[in-house]
Amino acid sequence: MAPDGDIGERLRALSGGSAVALRLDPHEYADHYFAALAATLRDLGPDSSSMTIYVSVTNPASLVWSLAQALDVTADRLWFVDAISHIMMNYRDPLPNATYIESPRMLEDMMLRVEYLLRKYPSPHPTVVIDSVNSLAIHNPPDLLSEFFHILLNNLKSRQVLTALLVVSDDTTSALDQMLALVVDETIDLGRRG
Amino acid sequence: MADGALPGGPASEPPGERCPSGIEALDNILGGGFPRGHLVLVAGSVGTGKTTLTLEFLVRGAERGERSLFLSVTEASSKLRQNLSTFEFFRPELVSSGRLVFVDIPVVYEKLGLDHEELTLEEIDLLIRAIQGLVTELKISRLVIDSLTSVCYRIRREERIRDFMLKLSQVLADLNCTTLLVSEIGQASGRFSLHGVEEAIVDGVILLGNTRRQGDIIRVLQIIKMRGTSHSRAQYVVELTPIGLLMAPHLKGGRQEGM
Ligand SMILES: Nc1ncnc2c1ncn2[C@@H]1O[C@H](COP(=O)(O)OP(=O)(O)OP(=O)(O)O)[C@@H](O)[C@H]1O
Ligand SMILES: [Mg+2]
Repeated sequence: MAPDGDIGERLRALSGGSAVALRLDPHEYADHYFAALAATLRDLGPDSSSMTIYVSVTNPASLVWSLAQALDVTADRLWFVDAISHIMMNYRDPLPNATYIESPRMLEDMMLRVEYLLRKYPSPHPTVVIDSVNSLAIHNPPDLLSEFFHILLNNLKSRQVLTALLVVSDDTTSALDQMLALVVDETIDLGRRG
Repeated sequence: MADGALPGGPASEPPGERCPSGIEALDNILGGGFPRGHLVLVAGSVGTGKTTLTLEFLVRGAERGERSLFLSVTEASSKLRQNLSTFEFFRPELVSSGRLVFVDIPVVYEKLGLDHEELTLEEIDLLIRAIQGLVTELKISRLVIDSLTSVCYRIRREERIRDFMLKLSQVLADLNCTTLLVSEIGQASGRFSLHGVEEAIVDGVILLGNTRRQGDIIRVLQIIKMRGTSHSRAQYVVELTPIGLLMAPHLKGGRQEGM
């Protein structure tokens, strides 16, 4: 089995309501990023007939969407919450399956849009992907960010949503890793697969 | 002021029957909804969502089979009914079946012959009896007056407003009719109603507002008081959406208030 499939399988094995950190090694960022997309959007999505909400803070949703298409992901159960296009002034061709937030600092708006999509399109085992913890940390102070994750993940847990948080790090002692350790149930290291 | 110390509302009071607003987050904070038969002020400056929130309360109620009445002073009810179409959960049958009723207060004034600029004591009584009559005849269990401010503007004198509020509160409590009163206030008025007496008499106050953060304006909601309910006084960020009002806690972090 391909290593990418392993991650999808590990994600599928998690119970609804779990929060998992997907650790991407900065030295193999492109590979790991693609693997994370494959696992969350392709391997997790289709057979569960559930929807995925992809919160895009690192790259504009349009870019993630073109990568997802290369993985044969279909648009029917995929929604983007794009919090970066506005401030990158990259807002010319909004995707029909995306909702746009003014800036990555509008953390409450992010919670509200996710909530909106979960309610508007109810499905049995929805997934929320947050790309990424690092990008959110660039725009928000640490105490605010931990409060955000604490509230968001508790809320998603109570709704049986599987949440995957992308974090770029090769060092488990980093401040971000330590904060995540408090809020996630499990960490999957993309550098140490199989 | 501690909630438990409010007049008439000991915190130890057993929670009575609740009237769910139908706004999930709000009902969660309120322990299931407004205490039934209570009078609640929905205060906020222009465009903060007062009409939208109160309309949703009525539509959700009508959907549950409760007869709901919107008494409109400020906007023609024909225009309000158009606003309803922004709600995905609104069904026109709610209106055609008579479960959701709109009445323009100016029409009521006219019928009662209330033509004084400033209402006399007798006219105030007539108005209260007219509202009582509507609620009784139509078997209304949810009422909105949008806005109380406009009504009080015609009553003018503080002691008469107090009298009006006390009678209204008594009449509606007797009918077990849960009522939201819209109160229009300035951005930084420091109070929740035109004269301040209104907010002292009502059982609850919900404050809607705008707050600015790093150049962006966000809508916020706060429960100032709610008798017979232990509730959070935290501020929530609000979004008005086609599926209804959504709320999220207003994150504090290390950030200063009001930024
Ligand atoms: N369902 C909805 N979805 C999105 N936006 C909405 C919705 N309903 C209302 N709005 C927006 O919210 C704004 C304020 O709404 P609303 O009229 O409820 O405020 P208000 O406090 O009653 O204002 P006023 O003081 O002028 O009476 C409106 O400008 C409208 O554009
Ligand atoms: Mg209004």
